[in-house]
Amino acid sequence: MKNSMKLIAIFSAAVLFMIINVAMIQKPGGPWNVPAKYKSMKSTIKAGDASINSTGKELYNKHCKSCHGAKGLGDGPKAANLKTSCGDFSSKDFQAQADGDIYYQSFVGRDEMPNFEKKITDEADRWAVVYFMRTLKK
Amino acid sequence: MNKLYKILRFSAIVVMALLMNHGIILAQEEATEEPAKERPARAAFESGLLFDAATTTLQPSKTLEMIIQHRFGTMNNGTEDLFGIWAPSNIRLGLNYSILNNLMVGIGTTKFNKMQDIQIKYNVLQQTRSNKIPVTVSLYEVIGIDARADETFGMNYKFSHRMNYFTQIIISRRFNDMFSLQVAPGFTHYNSTDSTVDHDRISFSFAGRVKFSPQSSLIIGADFPLQIQGISEHTKDFNDMAEPMKPNICIGYEVATSTHAFHLYLASGQGILPQENIMLNKNDFFDKGILIGLNITRLWSF
Repeated sequence: MKNSMKLIAIFSAAVLFMIINVAMIQKPGGPWNVPAKYKSMKSTIKAGDASINSTGKELYNKHCKSCHGAKGLGDGPKAANLKTSCGDFSSKDFQAQADGDIYYQSFVGRDEMPNFEKKITDEADRWAVVYFMRTLKK
Repeated sequence: MNKLYKILRFSAIVVMALLMNHGIILAQEEATEEPAKERPARAAFESGLLFDAATTTLQPSKTLEMIIQHRFGTMNNGTEDLFGIWAPSNIRLGLNYSILNNLMVGIGTTKFNKMQDIQIKYNVLQQTRSNKIPVTVSLYEVIGIDARADETFGMNYKFSHRMNYFTQIIISRRFNDMFSLQVAPGFTHYNSTDSTVDHDRISFSFAGRVKFSPQSSLIIGADFPLQIQGISEHTKDFNDMAEPMKPNICIGYEVATSTHAFHLYLASGQGILPQENIMLNKNDFFDKGILIGLNITRLWSF
Protein backbone atom coordinates (compact mmCIF):
# COMPACT_ATOMS: atom_id res chain seq x y z
CA MET A 1 0.00 0.00 0.00
CA LYS A 2 2.79 2.36 0.98
CA ASN A 3 4.63 1.56 -2.24
CA SER A 4 1.59 2.20 -4.43
CA MET A 5 1.01 5.55 -2.69
CA LYS A 6 4.60 6.48 -3.35
CA LEU A 7 4.20 5.45 -6.99
CA ILE A 8 1.04 7.56 -7.35
CA ALA A 9 2.82 10.54 -5.77
CA ILE A 10 5.79 10.21 -8.13
CA PHE A 11 3.50 9.79 -11.13
CA SER A 12 1.40 12.81 -10.13
CA ALA A 13 4.54 14.94 -9.65
CA ALA A 14 5.80 13.85 -13.09
CA VAL A 15 2.46 14.72 -14.74
CA LEU A 16 2.39 18.11 -12.97
CA PHE A 17 5.97 18.80 -14.06
CA MET A 18 5.09 17.97 -17.68
CA ILE A 19 1.96 20.17 -17.60
CA ILE A 20 3.96 23.09 -16.19
CA ASN A 21 6.65 22.63 -18.82
CA VAL A 22 4.14 22.41 -21.66
CA ALA A 23 2.49 25.57 -20.36
CA MET A 24 5.88 27.32 -20.30
CA ILE A 25 6.86 26.44 -23.87
CA GLN A 26 7.22 29.66 -25.81
CA LYS A 27 4.99 30.12 -28.81
CA PRO A 28 6.22 31.73 -32.01
CA GLY A 29 4.85 35.22 -32.40
CA GLY A 30 2.82 34.60 -35.57
CA PRO A 31 2.91 36.72 -38.72
CA TRP A 32 3.24 40.47 -38.35
CA ASN A 33 0.64 42.72 -39.90
CA VAL A 34 2.95 45.49 -41.09
CA PRO A 35 1.11 48.56 -42.48
CA ALA A 36 1.96 49.47 -46.08
CA LYS A 37 3.40 52.78 -44.91
CA TYR A 38 6.14 50.96 -43.04
CA LYS A 39 6.66 48.21 -45.62
CA SER A 40 7.69 50.74 -48.22
CA MET A 41 9.90 52.77 -45.86
CA LYS A 42 13.34 53.59 -47.12
CA SER A 43 16.35 53.94 -44.90
CA THR A 44 17.72 57.40 -44.26
CA ILE A 45 21.26 55.99 -44.05
CA LYS A 46 23.20 54.00 -46.58
CA ALA A 47 24.28 50.39 -46.13
CA GLY A 48 27.81 50.43 -44.77
CA ASP A 49 27.33 53.74 -42.95
CA ALA A 50 29.82 54.21 -40.12
CA SER A 51 26.99 54.65 -37.60
CA ILE A 52 25.87 51.02 -38.02
CA ASN A 53 28.75 49.56 -36.06
CA SER A 54 28.93 52.42 -33.57
CA THR A 55 25.49 53.87 -32.83
CA GLY A 56 23.55 50.87 -34.18
CA LYS A 57 25.57 48.36 -32.22
CA GLU A 58 25.50 50.46 -29.04
CA LEU A 59 21.74 50.99 -29.17
CA TYR A 60 21.16 47.31 -29.95
CA ASN A 61 23.23 46.34 -26.93
CA LYS A 62 21.40 48.79 -24.70
CA HIS A 63 17.81 48.18 -25.80
CA CYS A 64 17.63 44.79 -27.53
CA LYS A 65 20.35 42.48 -26.21
CA SER A 66 18.70 41.61 -22.89
CA CYS A 67 15.97 39.66 -24.75
CA HIS A 68 17.35 39.04 -28.24
CA GLY A 69 20.89 38.13 -27.19
CA ALA A 70 24.24 39.53 -28.30
CA LYS A 71 24.06 37.68 -31.62
CA GLY A 72 20.31 38.04 -32.15
CA LEU A 73 19.62 34.38 -31.50
CA GLY A 74 16.78 35.18 -29.09
CA ASP A 75 18.76 33.88 -26.12
CA GLY A 76 19.16 37.00 -23.96
CA PRO A 77 18.77 36.67 -20.17
CA LYS A 78 15.19 37.99 -20.21
CA ALA A 79 14.05 35.80 -23.15
CA ALA A 80 13.20 32.76 -21.05
CA ASN A 81 10.58 34.70 -19.09
CA LEU A 82 8.63 35.75 -22.20
CA LYS A 83 5.53 33.96 -23.45
CA THR A 84 6.55 34.56 -27.05
CA SER A 85 9.75 33.38 -28.69
CA CYS A 86 12.11 36.23 -29.57
CA GLY A 87 12.94 34.75 -32.96
CA ASP A 88 16.34 34.43 -34.57
CA PHE A 89 17.78 37.50 -36.32
CA SER A 90 20.50 35.40 -37.92
CA SER A 91 17.96 33.21 -39.75
CA LYS A 92 17.20 33.38 -43.47
CA ASP A 93 13.51 34.03 -42.78
CA PHE A 94 14.25 37.09 -40.67
CA GLN A 95 16.89 38.47 -43.02
CA ALA A 96 14.59 37.97 -46.06
CA GLN A 97 12.23 40.63 -44.74
CA ALA A 98 12.20 44.15 -46.13
CA ASP A 99 13.95 46.87 -44.14
CA GLY A 100 10.57 48.50 -43.44
CA ASP A 101 9.22 45.25 -41.96
CA ILE A 102 12.16 45.04 -39.56
CA TYR A 103 11.78 48.74 -38.73
CA TYR A 104 8.10 48.30 -37.83
CA GLN A 105 8.68 45.18 -35.75
CA SER A 106 11.62 46.78 -33.94
CA PHE A 107 10.25 50.21 -33.11
CA VAL A 108 6.44 50.02 -33.21
CA GLY A 109 6.24 46.54 -31.71
CA ARG A 110 3.26 44.56 -30.44
CA ASP A 111 2.31 42.62 -27.30
CA GLU A 112 5.50 41.61 -25.47
CA MET A 113 7.71 43.46 -27.96
CA PRO A 114 7.65 47.01 -26.54
CA ASN A 115 7.45 50.19 -28.54
CA PHE A 116 10.88 51.82 -28.83
CA GLU A 117 9.94 55.00 -30.68
CA LYS A 118 10.44 57.03 -27.49
CA LYS A 119 13.62 55.24 -26.48
CA ILE A 120 15.35 55.76 -29.84
CA THR A 121 13.96 59.00 -31.15
CA ASP A 122 16.29 59.78 -34.06
CA GLU A 123 15.26 58.28 -37.40
CA ALA A 124 18.81 57.64 -38.61
CA ASP A 125 19.70 55.96 -35.30
CA ARG A 126 16.76 53.58 -35.78
CA TRP A 127 18.00 52.65 -39.24
CA ALA A 128 21.48 52.10 -37.82
CA VAL A 129 19.92 49.51 -35.48
CA VAL A 130 18.04 47.86 -38.39
CA TYR A 131 21.25 47.64 -40.41
CA PHE A 132 23.15 46.35 -37.40
CA MET A 133 20.58 43.55 -37.18
CA ARG A 134 21.40 42.81 -40.81
CA THR A 135 25.02 42.19 -39.77
CA LEU A 136 23.84 39.37 -37.48
CA LYS A 137 23.06 37.23 -40.55
CA LYS A 138 24.82 33.87 -40.43
CA MET B 1 1.73 90.41 -91.24
CA ASN B 2 -0.22 87.30 -90.42
CA LYS B 3 2.91 85.24 -90.95
CA LEU B 4 4.88 87.51 -88.59
CA TYR B 5 2.10 87.23 -86.02
CA LYS B 6 2.23 83.41 -86.26
CA ILE B 7 6.02 83.41 -85.85
CA LEU B 8 5.77 85.71 -82.83
CA ARG B 9 3.01 83.59 -81.28
CA PHE B 10 5.04 80.41 -81.85
CA SER B 11 8.14 82.07 -80.41
CA ALA B 12 6.14 83.23 -77.35
CA ILE B 13 4.84 79.71 -76.76
CA VAL B 14 8.36 78.27 -77.06
CA VAL B 15 9.77 80.90 -74.68
CA MET B 16 6.93 80.32 -72.20
CA ALA B 17 7.44 76.57 -72.40
CA LEU B 18 11.16 77.02 -71.85
CA LEU B 19 10.55 79.37 -68.93
CA MET B 20 8.03 76.99 -67.36
CA ASN B 21 10.41 74.10 -67.82
CA HIS B 22 13.20 76.19 -66.32
CA GLY B 23 10.90 77.09 -63.46
CA ILE B 24 10.17 73.44 -62.76
CA ILE B 25 13.89 72.64 -62.86
CA LEU B 26 14.58 75.57 -60.53
CA ALA B 27 11.86 74.39 -58.15
CA GLN B 28 13.32 70.89 -58.23
CA GLU B 29 16.76 72.26 -57.54
CA GLU B 30 15.39 74.32 -54.67
CA ALA B 31 13.69 71.23 -53.28
CA THR B 32 16.89 69.21 -53.47
CA GLU B 33 18.92 72.04 -52.05
CA GLU B 34 16.64 72.38 -49.00
CA PRO B 35 18.92 72.49 -45.98
CA ALA B 36 19.16 69.20 -44.11
CA LYS B 37 17.20 69.18 -40.86
CA GLU B 38 19.41 69.63 -37.83
CA ARG B 39 19.59 66.40 -35.86
CA PRO B 40 19.87 66.72 -32.09
CA ALA B 41 22.95 65.03 -30.68
CA ARG B 42 22.42 61.95 -28.60
CA ALA B 43 22.11 62.67 -24.88
CA ALA B 44 25.36 63.49 -23.11
CA PHE B 45 24.44 61.27 -20.15
CA GLU B 46 22.34 58.15 -19.87
CA SER B 47 20.03 59.55 -17.23
CA GLY B 48 18.81 62.95 -16.07
CA LEU B 49 20.40 62.11 -12.73
CA LEU B 50 24.09 61.66 -11.94
CA PHE B 51 24.81 60.98 -8.23
CA ASP B 52 22.76 63.79 -6.65
CA ALA B 53 23.21 66.16 -9.58
CA ALA B 54 21.02 66.84 -12.58
CA THR B 55 22.33 66.38 -16.10
CA THR B 56 21.04 67.98 -19.27
CA THR B 57 19.51 64.66 -20.33
CA LEU B 58 15.75 64.83 -20.57
CA GLN B 59 13.47 61.93 -21.36
CA PRO B 60 10.98 62.32 -24.24
CA SER B 61 7.58 63.84 -23.44
CA LYS B 62 5.09 61.75 -21.48
CA THR B 63 7.81 59.71 -19.80
CA LEU B 64 7.64 59.01 -16.08
CA GLU B 65 10.88 58.37 -14.23
CA MET B 66 11.01 56.81 -10.77
CA ILE B 67 14.15 57.53 -8.77
CA ILE B 68 15.56 55.81 -5.69
CA GLN B 69 18.68 57.43 -4.20
CA HIS B 70 20.55 56.00 -1.26
CA ARG B 71 23.59 57.18 0.68
CA PHE B 72 25.03 55.16 3.54
CA GLY B 73 27.07 56.60 6.42
CA THR B 74 30.76 57.47 6.12
CA MET B 75 33.19 54.57 5.88
CA ASN B 76 35.62 55.86 8.53
CA ASN B 77 34.42 53.45 11.25
CA GLY B 78 35.57 50.48 9.20
CA THR B 79 34.13 47.09 10.09
CA GLU B 80 32.42 48.49 13.20
CA ASP B 81 29.49 49.60 11.06
CA LEU B 82 30.52 47.69 7.92
CA PHE B 83 32.01 50.72 6.21
CA GLY B 84 28.92 52.84 6.85
CA ILE B 85 26.37 50.33 5.55
CA TRP B 86 24.96 49.84 9.07
CA ALA B 87 25.18 53.54 9.87
CA PRO B 88 22.17 55.90 9.48
CA SER B 89 21.60 56.39 5.78
CA ASN B 90 19.87 59.00 3.70
CA ILE B 91 17.24 58.00 1.16
CA ARG B 92 15.25 59.90 -1.42
CA LEU B 93 12.30 58.68 -3.45
CA GLY B 94 11.40 60.80 -6.46
CA LEU B 95 9.18 60.94 -9.50
CA ASN B 96 9.98 62.98 -12.61
CA TYR B 97 7.63 63.52 -15.51
CA SER B 98 8.53 64.96 -18.91
CA ILE B 99 5.72 67.27 -19.97
CA LEU B 100 7.51 68.24 -23.17
CA ASN B 101 10.63 66.95 -24.83
CA ASN B 102 12.48 69.84 -23.20
CA LEU B 103 10.56 70.30 -19.94
CA MET B 104 10.53 68.06 -16.89
CA VAL B 105 8.89 68.47 -13.49
CA GLY B 106 9.56 66.32 -10.46
CA ILE B 107 8.72 65.76 -6.83
CA GLY B 108 10.57 63.89 -4.13
CA THR B 109 10.90 63.15 -0.46
CA THR B 110 14.17 62.71 1.44
CA LYS B 111 14.79 61.11 4.83
CA PHE B 112 17.32 63.55 6.33
CA ASN B 113 15.68 66.77 7.57
CA LYS B 114 12.38 65.43 6.12
CA MET B 115 13.09 67.39 2.96
CA GLN B 116 10.33 67.54 0.39
CA ASP B 117 11.21 68.89 -3.04
CA ILE B 118 9.80 70.14 -6.28
CA GLN B 119 12.09 70.21 -9.33
CA ILE B 120 11.88 71.78 -12.76
CA LYS B 121 14.34 71.30 -15.60
CA TYR B 122 14.07 73.07 -18.94
CA ASN B 123 16.39 72.58 -21.88
CA VAL B 124 17.06 75.94 -23.51
CA LEU B 125 19.50 74.68 -26.14
CA GLN B 126 20.08 71.24 -27.57
CA GLN B 127 23.46 70.19 -28.97
CA THR B 128 23.21 69.19 -32.61
CA ARG B 129 25.17 66.55 -34.51
CA SER B 130 26.36 69.09 -37.01
CA ASN B 131 27.86 71.09 -34.12
CA LYS B 132 25.92 74.16 -35.20
CA ILE B 133 24.87 74.19 -31.53
CA PRO B 134 27.89 72.73 -29.72
CA VAL B 135 26.38 72.34 -26.24
CA THR B 136 23.14 71.52 -24.47
CA VAL B 137 22.04 74.10 -21.93
CA SER B 138 19.50 73.42 -19.20
CA LEU B 139 17.97 75.54 -16.48
CA TYR B 140 17.39 73.58 -13.31
CA GLU B 141 15.52 74.60 -10.16
CA VAL B 142 15.00 72.64 -6.96
CA ILE B 143 12.66 74.01 -4.30
CA GLY B 144 13.15 72.27 -0.97
CA ILE B 145 10.72 72.27 1.93
CA ASP B 146 12.04 71.20 5.33
CA ALA B 147 9.20 69.31 7.01
CA ARG B 148 10.69 69.00 10.51
CA ALA B 149 8.82 70.25 13.58
CA ASP B 150 8.14 73.99 13.91
CA GLU B 151 10.51 74.26 16.91
CA THR B 152 13.47 73.43 14.66
CA PHE B 153 13.19 76.88 13.11
CA GLY B 154 13.53 78.93 16.31
CA MET B 155 11.21 81.19 18.29
CA ASN B 156 9.63 83.25 15.51
CA TYR B 157 8.55 80.42 13.26
CA LYS B 158 7.13 81.18 9.84
CA PHE B 159 6.39 78.64 7.14
CA SER B 160 8.78 80.43 4.79
CA HIS B 161 11.68 79.40 7.07
CA ARG B 162 11.27 75.89 5.75
CA MET B 163 12.04 76.86 2.18
CA ASN B 164 15.35 76.57 0.37
CA TYR B 165 16.19 76.98 -3.28
CA PHE B 166 18.80 75.77 -5.71
CA THR B 167 19.15 77.26 -9.17
CA GLN B 168 21.62 76.02 -11.74
CA ILE B 169 22.58 76.54 -15.35
CA ILE B 170 23.88 73.25 -16.73
CA ILE B 171 26.04 73.25 -19.85
CA SER B 172 26.97 69.87 -21.27
CA ARG B 173 28.69 68.53 -24.33
CA ARG B 174 28.77 65.03 -25.73
CA PHE B 175 32.24 65.01 -27.26
CA ASN B 176 31.89 61.54 -28.74
CA ASP B 177 30.20 58.23 -27.97
CA MET B 178 32.65 57.69 -25.13
CA PHE B 179 33.19 61.03 -23.44
CA SER B 180 30.75 63.66 -22.12
CA LEU B 181 31.32 66.57 -19.79
CA GLN B 182 29.17 69.18 -18.11
CA VAL B 183 29.81 72.29 -16.05
CA ALA B 184 27.16 73.96 -13.95
CA PRO B 185 27.33 77.19 -11.96
CA GLY B 186 24.67 77.28 -9.27
CA PHE B 187 23.13 79.47 -6.59
CA THR B 188 21.73 78.16 -3.31
CA HIS B 189 19.53 80.10 -0.92
CA TYR B 190 18.18 78.96 2.45
CA ASN B 191 15.50 81.12 4.06
CA SER B 192 16.62 79.90 7.45
CA THR B 193 20.08 78.74 8.52
CA ASP B 194 22.19 78.48 11.66
CA SER B 195 23.57 81.85 12.68
CA THR B 196 27.10 80.84 11.57
CA VAL B 197 26.03 79.85 8.05
CA ASP B 198 25.31 82.27 5.19
CA HIS B 199 21.88 82.19 3.59
CA ASP B 200 23.34 82.35 0.07
CA ARG B 201 26.09 80.41 -1.62
CA ILE B 202 27.39 80.28 -5.16
CA SER B 203 28.74 76.95 -6.32
CA PHE B 204 30.43 75.44 -9.31
CA SER B 205 29.74 71.85 -10.32
CA PHE B 206 31.08 69.56 -12.97
CA ALA B 207 30.36 66.02 -14.08
CA GLY B 208 31.88 63.69 -16.60
CA ARG B 209 31.34 60.30 -18.12
CA VAL B 210 33.71 57.87 -19.79
CA LYS B 211 31.75 55.08 -21.42
CA PHE B 212 33.84 51.93 -21.64
CA SER B 213 31.22 49.46 -22.86
CA PRO B 214 27.80 49.83 -24.50
CA GLN B 215 26.11 49.85 -21.10
CA SER B 216 28.81 50.72 -18.57
CA SER B 217 30.50 54.01 -17.74
CA LEU B 218 32.90 55.50 -15.28
CA ILE B 219 31.18 58.58 -13.85
CA ILE B 220 32.65 61.44 -11.88
CA GLY B 221 31.21 64.61 -10.43
CA ALA B 222 31.91 67.36 -7.94
CA ASP B 223 30.14 70.35 -6.39
CA PHE B 224 32.42 73.09 -5.11
CA PRO B 225 30.78 75.59 -2.72
CA LEU B 226 32.52 78.94 -3.19
CA GLN B 227 33.24 81.18 -0.21
CA ILE B 228 32.73 84.62 -1.73
CA GLN B 229 33.25 87.38 0.79
CA GLY B 230 31.19 89.85 -1.23
CA ILE B 231 27.94 87.95 -0.62
CA SER B 232 28.78 86.72 2.87
CA GLU B 233 26.89 88.02 5.91
CA HIS B 234 29.95 87.52 8.11
CA THR B 235 33.28 89.28 8.39
CA LYS B 236 36.35 87.93 6.62
CA ASP B 237 37.96 87.10 9.96
CA PHE B 238 34.91 85.11 11.01
CA ASN B 239 34.84 83.22 7.72
CA ASP B 240 38.57 82.51 7.93
CA MET B 241 38.11 81.02 11.39
CA ALA B 242 34.96 79.01 10.53
CA GLU B 243 35.12 75.42 9.35
CA PRO B 244 34.74 75.65 5.57
CA MET B 245 32.10 73.68 3.67
CA LYS B 246 33.70 70.80 1.80
CA PRO B 247 33.21 69.93 -1.85
CA ASN B 248 30.91 67.02 -2.60
CA ILE B 249 33.06 64.72 -4.73
CA CYS B 250 31.61 61.60 -6.32
CA ILE B 251 33.11 58.83 -8.43
CA GLY B 252 31.39 55.66 -9.49
CA TYR B 253 30.12 53.16 -11.97
CA GLU B 254 27.00 53.47 -14.11
CA VAL B 255 25.07 50.73 -15.87
CA ALA B 256 22.30 51.87 -18.18
CA THR B 257 19.73 49.62 -19.80
CA SER B 258 16.73 50.46 -21.93
CA THR B 259 14.61 51.53 -18.98
CA HIS B 260 17.00 51.66 -16.01
CA ALA B 261 20.12 53.46 -14.90
CA PHE B 262 22.09 52.20 -11.90
CA HIS B 263 24.82 54.14 -10.14
CA LEU B 264 27.12 52.63 -7.53
CA TYR B 265 29.58 55.19 -6.25
CA LEU B 266 31.71 56.76 -3.57
CA ALA B 267 30.76 60.27 -2.44
CA SER B 268 31.49 62.72 0.34
CA GLY B 269 28.20 64.58 0.78
CA GLN B 270 25.47 62.69 2.60
CA GLY B 271 22.77 65.07 1.44
CA ILE B 272 20.79 64.12 -1.63
CA LEU B 273 19.31 67.41 -2.75
CA PRO B 274 22.11 69.51 -4.27
CA GLN B 275 21.48 72.48 -1.96
CA GLU B 276 22.06 70.28 1.10
CA ASN B 277 25.52 69.26 -0.10
CA ILE B 278 26.49 72.72 -1.25
CA MET B 279 25.30 74.50 1.89
CA LEU B 280 25.95 71.95 4.62
CA ASN B 281 28.51 69.28 3.63
CA LYS B 282 31.43 68.93 6.04
CA ASN B 283 32.62 65.48 4.94
CA ASP B 284 36.05 65.65 3.33
CA PHE B 285 36.47 63.13 0.52
CA PHE B 286 40.23 63.03 1.18
CA ASP B 287 39.98 62.79 4.98
CA LYS B 288 37.73 59.95 6.16
CA GLY B 289 34.64 61.50 4.63
CA ILE B 290 33.81 58.92 1.99
CA LEU B 291 30.51 57.05 1.89
CA ILE B 292 28.87 54.54 -0.43
CA GLY B 293 25.91 55.68 -2.53
CA LEU B 294 23.62 54.10 -5.05
CA ASN B 295 20.87 55.25 -7.40
CA ILE B 296 18.26 53.38 -9.37
CA THR B 297 16.05 54.98 -12.01
CA ARG B 298 13.21 53.39 -13.92
CA LEU B 299 11.37 54.80 -16.95
CA TRP B 300 7.82 54.32 -18.16
CA SER B 301 6.68 55.78 -21.47
CA PHE B 302 3.06 56.72 -22.09
